[in-house]
Amino acid sequence: MENLKEIQATAADKLIAVDSEIKLAEFKAFVFGKSGLVTELMKTLKSLPNDQKPQAGKEINDLRVAISTMIENKEKELHRMAIDRAINEEGIDLSIDKPLHRIGSLHPLNRIRDKLVNYFVGNGYIVYDSPEIESDYYNFQALNIPPDHPARDMQDTFFIEDGILLRSQTSSGQIRHMEHHKPPLKMICPGRVYRSDDDSTHSPVFHQLEGLVIDKNVTLCDLKGTLEGFAKFIFGDQTTIRFRPSYFPFTEPSVEVDVSCFNCHGRGCRVCKNTGWIEILGAGMVNRKVLENCNIDPDEYHGFAFGMGLDRITMILHAINDIKLLWENDVRFLHMFD
Amino acid sequence: MKLPLSWLSDFVDIGDITPNELADKLLSIGFEVEEIITPREDIKGVVVGHVDSIVRHENSDKLWICSIDIGSETVQIVTGAQNVKQGDYVPVATVGAELPGGMKLVAAKLRGVDSFGMLCSGSELCVDDDVIDGASVDGILILPDDSKVGENIMHTLGIDDTVLDVSITANRPDCQAIANLAREISILLDKPFKMPKLTYKQSVSGEIPSVVITNKDLCSYYIGRVIHDVKIDKSPKWMRDRLRLCGIRPINNLVDITNYVLLEIGQPLHAFDRKFIDGGIIVRKGKPDEKLTALDGNEYSVDDVLVIADNVKPLAIAGIMGGEYTGIFSDTREVFLEAARFERSNVRRTSRKIGLRSDSSSRYEKGVDWKSVEIGSARALALIDELKCGKIDCAVTSDGTQMPEEKIIRTTKEEICSLLGIDIDKKIIVSILKKQGIRVKCEGKTLVCTIPLVREDIESYADLAEDVMRFYGYDNIVSTHSESTTQTFGGLGIYDKNVSELKLALRAFGCDEILNYTFISPDEKFKLLYPPDDRVCGEITIKNPLGKELSVMRTQTVSAMLSSIAGNCARKNNVMRFFEIGKVFIADKLPLTTLPDERDVVSIGICNDGDFYTVKAIVDSIVRMFGQPEYTVSSAPFLHPKQSLRVEAHGISGDFGKLHPLVCENYELPKNVFVAQIDFTDALNDLPRIPQFTAISKLQPVDRDLALIVAKDVAVGKLLGDVKNSSGYITDVKLFDIYEGEQIPAGYKNIAFSVRFQPAERTFSDNEIKSLVDDILRLTSEKYGATLR
Repeated sequence: MENLKEIQATAADKLIAVDSEIKLAEFKAFVFGKSGLVTELMKTLKSLPNDQKPQAGKEINDLRVAISTMIENKEKELHRMAIDRAINEEGIDLSIDKPLHRIGSLHPLNRIRDKLVNYFVGNGYIVYDSPEIESDYYNFQALNIPPDHPARDMQDTFFIEDGILLRSQTSSGQIRHMEHHKPPLKMICPGRVYRSDDDSTHSPVFHQLEGLVIDKNVTLCDLKGTLEGFAKFIFGDQTTIRFRPSYFPFTEPSVEVDVSCFNCHGRGCRVCKNTGWIEILGAGMVNRKVLENCNIDPDEYHGFAFGMGLDRITMILHAINDIKLLWENDVRFLHMFD
Repeated sequence: MKLPLSWLSDFVDIGDITPNELADKLLSIGFEVEEIITPREDIKGVVVGHVDSIVRHENSDKLWICSIDIGSETVQIVTGAQNVKQGDYVPVATVGAELPGGMKLVAAKLRGVDSFGMLCSGSELCVDDDVIDGASVDGILILPDDSKVGENIMHTLGIDDTVLDVSITANRPDCQAIANLAREISILLDKPFKMPKLTYKQSVSGEIPSVVITNKDLCSYYIGRVIHDVKIDKSPKWMRDRLRLCGIRPINNLVDITNYVLLEIGQPLHAFDRKFIDGGIIVRKGKPDEKLTALDGNEYSVDDVLVIADNVKPLAIAGIMGGEYTGIFSDTREVFLEAARFERSNVRRTSRKIGLRSDSSSRYEKGVDWKSVEIGSARALALIDELKCGKIDCAVTSDGTQMPEEKIIRTTKEEICSLLGIDIDKKIIVSILKKQGIRVKCEGKTLVCTIPLVREDIESYADLAEDVMRFYGYDNIVSTHSESTTQTFGGLGIYDKNVSELKLALRAFGCDEILNYTFISPDEKFKLLYPPDDRVCGEITIKNPLGKELSVMRTQTVSAMLSSIAGNCARKNNVMRFFEIGKVFIADKLPLTTLPDERDVVSIGICNDGDFYTVKAIVDSIVRMFGQPEYTVSSAPFLHPKQSLRVEAHGISGDFGKLHPLVCENYELPKNVFVAQIDFTDALNDLPRIPQFTAISKLQPVDRDLALIVAKDVAVGKLLGDVKNSSGYITDVKLFDIYEGEQIPAGYKNIAFSVRFQPAERTFSDNEIKSLVDDILRLTSEKYGATLR
């Protein structure tokens, strides 16, 4: 059947011009319809002698398969064209933004608090919560500050009733903890404290983090190692600390602890007021009387304690120049520290 | 405490150490220098000159030509001042001198006559009559006749001293005295310490008042001395200068001496005019109705207050202030000088009770030791003798308790070092302690330390360890890592973990954390429309607040939340979502007798960033972290009655919704504010439940959409909840539309929702699905009057 190749070529020619689903349907009818090219060919098969039928039938079928494959390819091509057209129509302006609702911010002070808490927790400390409205006993007397002691002048305390006050230091947590737990002890007590002070570096409500370690063989050198580790964690590996003598009624010896300035590394700058050092916390070896008040034998156990201002550390680290900013809750401020 | 370096130099030779170096060294032994007050630096080249001659200027009525000896030379100066005479001593600004305001002196010609400098007035040198008499006259400052020609005027005027303002810790009241601080500095600089002069001539012996102390618990020692033939006058300039540098106003020689001794020795003294003392001195409690006019001119009731009295009347409030009547004035001829030791806590209490403070009382409050009573008295008498103020009677009258024994502390080198963690040579320990006046005897390994009375702060070996370290140097403390202590586990407690999780969730919902003061104004509760009998109104009041607006401990956290939102709106930050996890303080009864309940409250505030359903979704999610929420009608007064709910779950309760329009007005807020206030206290202390796995079915679920018509007032959430609970096969019910209007009868609404049925064992047949749907239709029809649309 000589004309089969011709037919295939004609079909192929015709198919090239097909560029839509409708034209493809017309083409299918032209080839496979009632009087389509291939259908007509099939009809001619009957009139052939029997011995030629198998050969001719195979050839016609090959033609049918070949054209079907061409149609399938065309269908894929048309589908691809349709998708491309749709894609073209889906162009959007990529230069604009439609933000999601932002994730809420943790307050910068609590960010620092969490950071410090995690550090000490990782070093074997537990976290202890102690009341803010406190009795005179826990805030003063048990900490070796008897009534009318001049050390009470170190803090301007808010009073509620006789013997009840707003705690002026988280050190009250030391006593409460020691009353209920026996050494060895390692605890921190972060929380709010209250003093009657109000200026750009003092707020009447502020936050402290108290630390307490009680065990046999605890020394002043261990205190220094502990605080140096903490200082390096917060202010960077280059940080060093220094002790200088001070006085707290509940520790003896007592020290003020300065860290080398993280900003200038000791050369002197605005952050450290040109001294190279930043005063960061008070600490010392727990006073024997405090241990006795908590029924811990001071001849068997030593301990150290430290207390730092979270507000001050937050302000130093983030260069915040007015403590009021921590309390204003201005959204622009709150979003600055993510 | 103010420490003038010239005064310090009386007791220790500080050599050429700079004030800054001295401040650093003081810091290393525990005394922080808060300020270094240096003399003014804008006056240079002004010296004392002697007016050798003065003649009128030929071409002027007002000008004078002076020949002035300034030591190194004699210069000609033309002056317009009219108060200069030949022989006067005057301040001379020489050529090249600098004066305040940046003025620099140059040689000049005045009406044809050369002038090499300028004579200065008091105001040009920025001094007044307090510094030197005559400073305020109109004209040139005429200096005293004993002025030294050529001397720098700063020195002549006594304003060239550098003063260190030293902060003294409360454990070292002894160092509130210049002499005692000088002793510390002498150890620090390794220089000898010179004691102040304590000797004096004594003369006549007259009859002097006896002393009886009635309350020896409040006054443990009292010494009285009498000075005859007193001449009241100004004290010498050096003494007045030093007092002034320390912030004390000079008055007269006797009073100045008592103040001088207060600063130098740390012993308050009081001088009485003897002629007004009737009989003897009695230290006793004041009687009811007794009053005293103090030196400040105010009358004080001294009922039950410790006073110094004579046989008839109170003369002084013990340790605080003398009476005006017996004060030292120019006509005083005989003085009774008191040196006493009043108990510090009583002075403190009394001073607060009567509302009167003085240099004396603040010194007594810190603690005056036994020995300084005698030393202070002797030092004052030595000064009275030196300044020829009168004749000191040799009689001494005194009363008091037995002088206390000196404390003895037995310790060892090992004990001291075990606290410090470093090894210090025993010899060094002994030597440092001895330098501080502690007597140390070595008995084998034991160090027997006798503590002088002046060091009341030393109570145990720990104090000795500190005093060793102060001079041995804290830089010698090395860092160790608690190698010989016990391993502990540590960790966050349940409460902290729960708070962390809660904050994480609130942040994920877009809420920023805020902080607020825990004390607020008592008016806030009314701005929130709470009636006066509400529990919220039972606030704990602070006795000494900073102001009314910070005077009560909060019982609610909404007002702080609203104020924070309002503060932002006032700054045009109009959109926000906030949360606070903070405490409220609930009193069992007022006034407080026991500590109150401190409860943890979560508050949420949403402004222009969502609606009721936003706050409800957030509340529902965070409550669900701890338990199954139940919703009921809210009665919180600050909420919109039609857009608020109460939520409760295990350990949780609170209210949320739209803010009441009146509350919006009270806080000047926009209308679109939603808040929640929920107490989480008990939930936060609960162990969080551990979620348990349930099997996930492999069978396909079937979804059916339903549209029902119900009356407008039907609570759709309840209806859908009932649908959900009606069959164990229903895993989800989703509302997708509520419609009122066309095609729906008036007073009704159309609700459209989809229900997902999850088969458990095998797929549902069509009949089973139909039967499940029919169950839903029957339920909603019976309970809510719903009809299928």
